[in-house]
Amino acid sequence: MSAYLIFGLLIALMLTGMPISIALGLTVLTFLFTMTEVPLHAVALKLFTGIERFEIMAIPFFILAGSFLTRGGVARRMIDFATSLVGHWHGGLALAGVVACALFASVCGSSPATVVAIGSIILPAMQKQGFPKKFGAGVIATSGALGILMLPSIVKVIYAVSTNTSIGALFVAGVVPGLVLTCMLGATTWYLARKNNYPRLPRASWSARFKAFRESIWGLFLVVVVIGGIYSGLFTATEAAAMSAVYAFFIAVYVYKDMTLKDVPRSLLESANLSAMLLYIITNAVLFSFLMTSEHIPQMMAQWLLDKGLGQIAFLLMVNVLLLLAGNVMEPSSIVLIMAPILFPVAMKLGIDPIHFGIMVVVNMEIGLCHPPVGLNLYVASGITRMGITELTVAVWPWLLTMLVFLVLATYWPALSLWLPKALGMM
Amino acid sequence: MTAVRRSGRLILRALDRLEEWLIASLMAAATGLIFVAVVHRYAAALPILVVQDWLLRINLSWAQELCIYMFIWMAKFGAAYGVRTGIHVGVDVLINRLPDRLRAKIIVFGLLAGALFTGVIGTLGAEFVWDVAHTQEVSADLELPMWIVYLAIPCGSYLMCFRFLQVTWWFVRTGALPHHEIAKVEGLDEAGDDLHPADLRHQVKS
Repeated sequence: MSAYLIFGLLIALMLTGMPISIALGLTVLTFLFTMTEVPLHAVALKLFTGIERFEIMAIPFFILAGSFLTRGGVARRMIDFATSLVGHWHGGLALAGVVACALFASVCGSSPATVVAIGSIILPAMQKQGFPKKFGAGVIATSGALGILMLPSIVKVIYAVSTNTSIGALFVAGVVPGLVLTCMLGATTWYLARKNNYPRLPRASWSARFKAFRESIWGLFLVVVVIGGIYSGLFTATEAAAMSAVYAFFIAVYVYKDMTLKDVPRSLLESANLSAMLLYIITNAVLFSFLMTSEHIPQMMAQWLLDKGLGQIAFLLMVNVLLLLAGNVMEPSSIVLIMAPILFPVAMKLGIDPIHFGIMVVVNMEIGLCHPPVGLNLYVASGITRMGITELTVAVWPWLLTMLVFLVLATYWPALSLWLPKALGMM
Repeated sequence: MTAVRRSGRLILRALDRLEEWLIASLMAAATGLIFVAVVHRYAAALPILVVQDWLLRINLSWAQELCIYMFIWMAKFGAAYGVRTGIHVGVDVLINRLPDRLRAKIIVFGLLAGALFTGVIGTLGAEFVWDVAHTQEVSADLELPMWIVYLAIPCGSYLMCFRFLQVTWWFVRTGALPHHEIAKVEGLDEAGDDLHPADLRHQVKS
């Protein structure tokens, strides 16, 4: 009974368009004031202790690192490197865009940031070369979604925190699926470009390739800092995130010199703004799951789902549909924060691996980012290209279909995500 | 009257700057702190004569705790700043399809709900801080009095409440909401609309 009330109130409040964090918080308050005897005192304490965990602090650090990487010229050099590698194939710059997104995604933990970083440079260049606007926007808006799948990722940190899974293993588990998705998106791009005969670039010489690689090595080295650091046990995930923020600052200001010290405060302020928003949602989501736990709702829902006699296959299908639907109205962090505490226990009971489940959730979030009405990547791409959302929706569909095929792969082939962390002995 | 209004505006602007300065500094300080703590941990293991002794004498075990507290302070005040920049997104799919008048009413309801929530939380937080201040509770590593640490809840929440009221006031007067533009990159924003895509259907009448 109380489950219906809680969710009904939450959905009603969310539909008024108020911030999700506020809707979560108000639901909890209303319920506490009227229905239960949980002391209100506990609420204030929860508001503080809810985010009093060092793992969560990886989020602001990764956001800050992403801001330095975006502004600091790392993206530009990665694009040059990617172009020198694949620019002469069908699809030229578009294909290079996919590869550059994958490279940038392996150092940056956010999808919209990847779209901004790669898209704002490569989209104008593509238009100049004669690609239709639609094609470029479609490629970059979807490839940018790799940002949360490859190595570090804010969504993965949130999933790890709300389910107590290993952050390091989740990071590494995204590598193979990320590479597969890159190839699939690249293949779609290649096929479309060949069919429509889009411009290609002259083949770059090996010396030019090497030069571009050397230029971008500073940015690529971040992979070693983050993953090497976590894997070797040199630092925790949060420390790795802080190190990568300092490292990104250093190369942006002193190595590439694309940023001056004067630009730093703005990056700090913007990252603080974004991090505070995410931390605020997390706080209220913790409050919300505190309420749910005290009403035994997760256990009840888990029991209900188990009583339905769903097998692994049917359950995973249901989760996919549920997450894709949620992707229509909310952004990834909120979805993971609200859904993970409910779905995760059931997944565990059915014997699904927590890392595999996490990667599957992330792929769902990626798809949610790329389609309207709340696809953040689309809004970012529309901001860069000045295209309308409706037009963009049509533009992304070939790649969106590719991603749906990939989702089936990631859902029903656990080895895809589990092989690498297992081989490295991380799980 | 104008003098009052001008000084009021001045105070508001000072508050804006203070808020921005505070959260940006906390971000920078926390990053620097963790970096130094990690470097210190490994540097102290290097067998360099005098330096090692000196490094070993510095104890940075409190770094993690301080970092958490700094980020919580940043989160509370940053959330208030976020109201002003419009970064707290909600599900606006439905209300953007409604006729303008009704949509405006629901938006005002949402903003006031935000003010109500943060106001209540601020009050609960203040009571809580009051109680803690009468205990001897200190933090684990830094041994800071906890009530100072918890002060972030009432201060941040009341500020956020004020920001919600401010934005409501702006919205009622101008019909515009602050919108966070994530795609804004220097050199790209040519003159033109900076309307959020969700707002294109509801052009602001100026």
